[in-house]
Amino acid sequence: MIGLSHYLVISAILFSIGLVGVLRRRNLLMLFFATEVMLNAVNIAFAAISHYYNDLTGQMFAFFIIAVAASEVAVGLGILIVLYKKHGSLDLDDLASMRG
Amino acid sequence: MENLVYVALFAPFVGSLFAALFGMSERRIFVGIVASILIGIAFLASATLAYNLLMTGDVVQIRMMDWISAGDFNVSFGFVVDQISVTMMTVVSLVSTVVHIYAIGYMDHDKSFNRFFSYLSAFVFSMMVLVMSDNFLGLFIGWEGVGVCSWLLVGFWYHKPDQAREDNPSISPSWAANEAFIMNRIADLGMLVGIFILYWNTGSLQYDEVFAQLPYLSDAVLKGAAIALFIGAMGKSAQFPLHTWLTDAMEGPTPVSALIHAATMVTAGVFLVIRANPLYSMEAVEGVSFFIASLGTFVAFYAASMALVERDLKRIIAYSTLSQLGYMFAAAGLGAYWIALFHLAAHAFFKALLFLGGGNVMHAMHDELDLFKMGNLRKEMRGTWIYMTLASVALAGLPPLAGFWSKDAIIETAFNEHTYFLWGMLVLTAGMTAFYSFRQIFLSFHGEDRYTALGFHPHEMYKFVLVAMSPLAVLAVITGWFMGSYKAFIYKIGESVQYEMSAHTHHLANYLGLIVIFFAVTGIVIAYLKYARTGEKAWKRDEEKEQGFFYKLLKNQYYVPKFYEEFITKPYMMLSEIFWTKVDLKIVDGTVDSIAKFFYGAGDKTRSMQTGNLSNYLNWMAVGAVLLLTIAAVSAMIG
Amino acid sequence: MENILSILVFFPAVAGLLGFVIDKDSAKAYGVTVAAIEFLLSLWLWFSFDTASAGMQFVEMIPLIPDMGISYYVGADGISLFIIIMTTLMTLIGMASMGETKNIKNMIVTLLFLEMTMIGVFVALDAIIFYLFWELSLVPMLYIIGAWGGPLRVYASIKFFLYTFTGSLIMLVGMLFVAYIYHSLTGVWSFAITDWYALVLPVDYQLWLFAAFFIGFAIKVPMFPFHTWIPYAHGQAPTIGSVILAAVLLKMGTYGFVRFSLPMFPDASVMAITPVAVLSLIMIVYTAMIAYAQKDIKQVIAYSSVSHMGIIMLGLFAMNAEGLSGSVFQMLSHGIVSGALFMLVGMIYERRHTKLMSEFGGLASVMPKFAVIFGVMLMASVGLPLTIGFVGEFLVLLGFYQVSPIITIIAGTSIILGAVYMLRVMKFTFFGPLNNEENKKLKDLNRRETWSLIPLVAIVIWLGVYPKPVLEPIDNSVKALLNFMDEKALTKEAKDMIRVAKSSKEVK
Repeated sequence: MIGLSHYLVISAILFSIGLVGVLRRRNLLMLFFATEVMLNAVNIAFAAISHYYNDLTGQMFAFFIIAVAASEVAVGLGILIVLYKKHGSLDLDDLASMRG
Repeated sequence: MENLVYVALFAPFVGSLFAALFGMSERRIFVGIVASILIGIAFLASATLAYNLLMTGDVVQIRMMDWISAGDFNVSFGFVVDQISVTMMTVVSLVSTVVHIYAIGYMDHDKSFNRFFSYLSAFVFSMMVLVMSDNFLGLFIGWEGVGVCSWLLVGFWYHKPDQAREDNPSISPSWAANEAFIMNRIADLGMLVGIFILYWNTGSLQYDEVFAQLPYLSDAVLKGAAIALFIGAMGKSAQFPLHTWLTDAMEGPTPVSALIHAATMVTAGVFLVIRANPLYSMEAVEGVSFFIASLGTFVAFYAASMALVERDLKRIIAYSTLSQLGYMFAAAGLGAYWIALFHLAAHAFFKALLFLGGGNVMHAMHDELDLFKMGNLRKEMRGTWIYMTLASVALAGLPPLAGFWSKDAIIETAFNEHTYFLWGMLVLTAGMTAFYSFRQIFLSFHGEDRYTALGFHPHEMYKFVLVAMSPLAVLAVITGWFMGSYKAFIYKIGESVQYEMSAHTHHLANYLGLIVIFFAVTGIVIAYLKYARTGEKAWKRDEEKEQGFFYKLLKNQYYVPKFYEEFITKPYMMLSEIFWTKVDLKIVDGTVDSIAKFFYGAGDKTRSMQTGNLSNYLNWMAVGAVLLLTIAAVSAMIG
Repeated sequence: MENILSILVFFPAVAGLLGFVIDKDSAKAYGVTVAAIEFLLSLWLWFSFDTASAGMQFVEMIPLIPDMGISYYVGADGISLFIIIMTTLMTLIGMASMGETKNIKNMIVTLLFLEMTMIGVFVALDAIIFYLFWELSLVPMLYIIGAWGGPLRVYASIKFFLYTFTGSLIMLVGMLFVAYIYHSLTGVWSFAITDWYALVLPVDYQLWLFAAFFIGFAIKVPMFPFHTWIPYAHGQAPTIGSVILAAVLLKMGTYGFVRFSLPMFPDASVMAITPVAVLSLIMIVYTAMIAYAQKDIKQVIAYSSVSHMGIIMLGLFAMNAEGLSGSVFQMLSHGIVSGALFMLVGMIYERRHTKLMSEFGGLASVMPKFAVIFGVMLMASVGLPLTIGFVGEFLVLLGFYQVSPIITIIAGTSIILGAVYMLRVMKFTFFGPLNNEENKKLKDLNRRETWSLIPLVAIVIWLGVYPKPVLEPIDNSVKALLNFMDEKALTKEAKDMIRVAKSSKEVK
């Protein structure tokens, strides 16, 4: 029987994968993907818990997050394209300009 | 009568302001004349007041206006003319008048002539405030006022450079002026404390109110007040150990030395003790009074001993002033206040005369003061010689001149109080006094002529100056004859100033007087044999003797100035430097700066986190999130 | 004129704003005119002041944030009245004597703005308004030191700003806490100082709050060991900056003690007597010694100023009318005398571009007027009777003698040590031979300089001879303050220590 804990474990694994991606990746595009993975990990958790408590609020939240993520990707990809046109690279080490 | 009080008080002030108007312009003789006339007016007013007091016995007391009032404290400008203050007023204004006229002649080549008169009259005004005030704070005004005027006048020739102590023991006029001011300030603190004690215990500073409260005060309070006030008196009257400034103050022009550092200001300390005689005659302060008498006797002897070897004309007279002040304190400490006051007046006359005579010599010798370079000046300066001899006879205490009567009475008092040791010291000092004052006369006016070889061409002072000095000469002779009537006059003030010799002393009075005269004459004879003769037996300088231990000890004033310099001035300077460079800049400010530097440094160190690389930021964010989560978890578990 | 205090506060600021459009050449004349009008207004304030009454007068109150109890609330009593007049006077004279030519217009505007903040501090009866002006006063001063100062001006101005700012933030925390207590006791918010007076606080609260306010005020005074910003500030500031700083800004600290600490925390104040007295003694003796070691005339006066502030602090904690009145009077005296001394040093600096004593000597013969005025101010500074300096110093020492004779005697050494360092300046600057060639051509004071100093000389002598017109209103308010403290004090020790003058009448 697949229970709540299975979903949560999946969610945690996905989140960790995303987190490692965020910490290790140097390419901006990859960072984006990693954050998407983290968001979706949270979505899974929301949906599962919502089902567990029989409360639709969590699933609604998941939809919201999907919507927000979609618009974020739209804006973010736009910025990435501009950056790429300007610098010819999406590597973070090349983009660092605000050295303190 | 009230108007006369104001005239006596403010005439010198007007004179000072008048002279100050011309302070920065060139020398104008009339400034000196106007100032002298105004001081003369003050003298006439004082004399009238004295006469009136003598005839009617009415003490004049006036209150001019409020000064300071805060909380319960209240003090106003009030003046009292009673037997004590009127004596001082008359003496001060008389000597001042003579000195003012004298100064017209003495200062006539000085470019700061007008400024000099402004200061001198301001001094007289302060002195009048000092003696006339009816409360301790008013006295303190005058007290500080004369201090400032003395500072201005000692440093009158401010442009002279500093010299090494070996070349000039007083270093420079401005140095001597500062020394005098600061030493007096040390004593003034004592005086202020005395004022505080009296105020908080009697609720007033008015003489009569304070004195009326005295019987109800505890012994400790009385002692404290007496000691504190006497510390004030020690500074102004240059008693040991605050005495070094007086001889250095001789850097000032001679009229200043005559007026301030001989006749008037330095006697203010004695005046204070006499003024506060109800306090000093309380039984509880007997110890303090005896200390005053002992210190006075000690200073009398101590100063006389230094005068024995001094070569500087003015410094000898300064030492003798110091010594005579010691006599006055001895009398006051033993309870013979009126004798002290009488000696004060007599001393003012003959000492001022002596100084002014010294000024004539100085003027004649182009500011040369070394006695060893003089000799036989008598043939050039007959008038001055007569004056100075008269003054010296008075100082030595030979009858019938003023000094004999007053000084003899003091010595007799010491005998009467059964303080035989003090008596012996005072008699011995009388002999020394006679010796050094005649040593000075003989070295300068008698013996072989030593100045011509050195290229001096002395000339006698102006006639009008000599005439102006004559009142002092007359008074130096006759003052003593009025001792009896003065006694009757001052006895009216009350029991505390009255002092009578016991029958036993009275019986022996003639013998005691003879002993003093014997010592004085011996001193003069020794001085004559050693210094006055001419030809074969003429005095020769003995360089070898000057290297002797005692000679050097006396010559260097018992090394007291040296001691002050080495153990007070220099360490103070060093400590100040350390406080500034080490403590304030390094420790206090260093701490403040190190706090600032800590934050600055912390920012500088953590700045490297700001790489500009998004990836690094994200890493830090993760660290932060983990940290926060851990804290939340830990606090949840604990809570 | 009901709202004369508001006019006094805002007139300089409004005039300062207008100053931006004034032509550069007439800027100084404009500034002096404004300052003169302001001074006359403050004299008018004195004229219409009821000297017999001890309470607050000319009170104005406009609620600003009623929910929080913050209002524009101003008033003046005998203590603040004369500090206000001194502020306007020193601003006027400082401005008139100013020899500065660089960016003169900005300087005038800055000074007028500074004047507003200073008067604001002394009239404020609402803690927030007080704090507002208190902090605002830092800005023009920062600007004056930072823009017109010497070579180390940036360091000096930042040190000045950060140091005092840190202190006042701690004071602000204290203020907020008092308001919080007021709210929790009465249920309403109020920042009015007069409301806070009614608050009877437990002793431990008083101690904490006293400490918070103490740090704010002590840095401003500046008390040892918080004084190290002042030598830099004075050393780098232009003359006008030093004049205002010494004359007025330092008084804000001591005024704060009178306005806040003493009436609000009487028990804590009594407990603080010994520590404050010890710090004051260190200020008096230690800084007097440091002043003696200085080579720069201006630094001597800067340190002497700290030393004299020690006397003022001592008087504030004498807990009797003599000491407290003397202390307030000494604030005025110190303002005028040290202001004048800084002006004098500025005048010689303008001529020779140095302030080192070793460069001078014998100036009395080339600059007699300068020497005379310096001499008068010197004598006032060392507390000579019949000058303004004596009255305050004497009363403070007299008052504190009742608290502790030993401390008073040590503090009394200030009359000796003060003479020591000031006479040293006099000797090395004015006396001795005129050796330095450059000094031989020095010009004596010109008319502008002479006439800006003469009023100060006149005041120094007038208030030394007849201090009554000033001392009486101060004394009335001080007596009322002591009455109030005595009634409010909780502990027996405090009640014993606070001595109400016998002659003081009951004041509501």
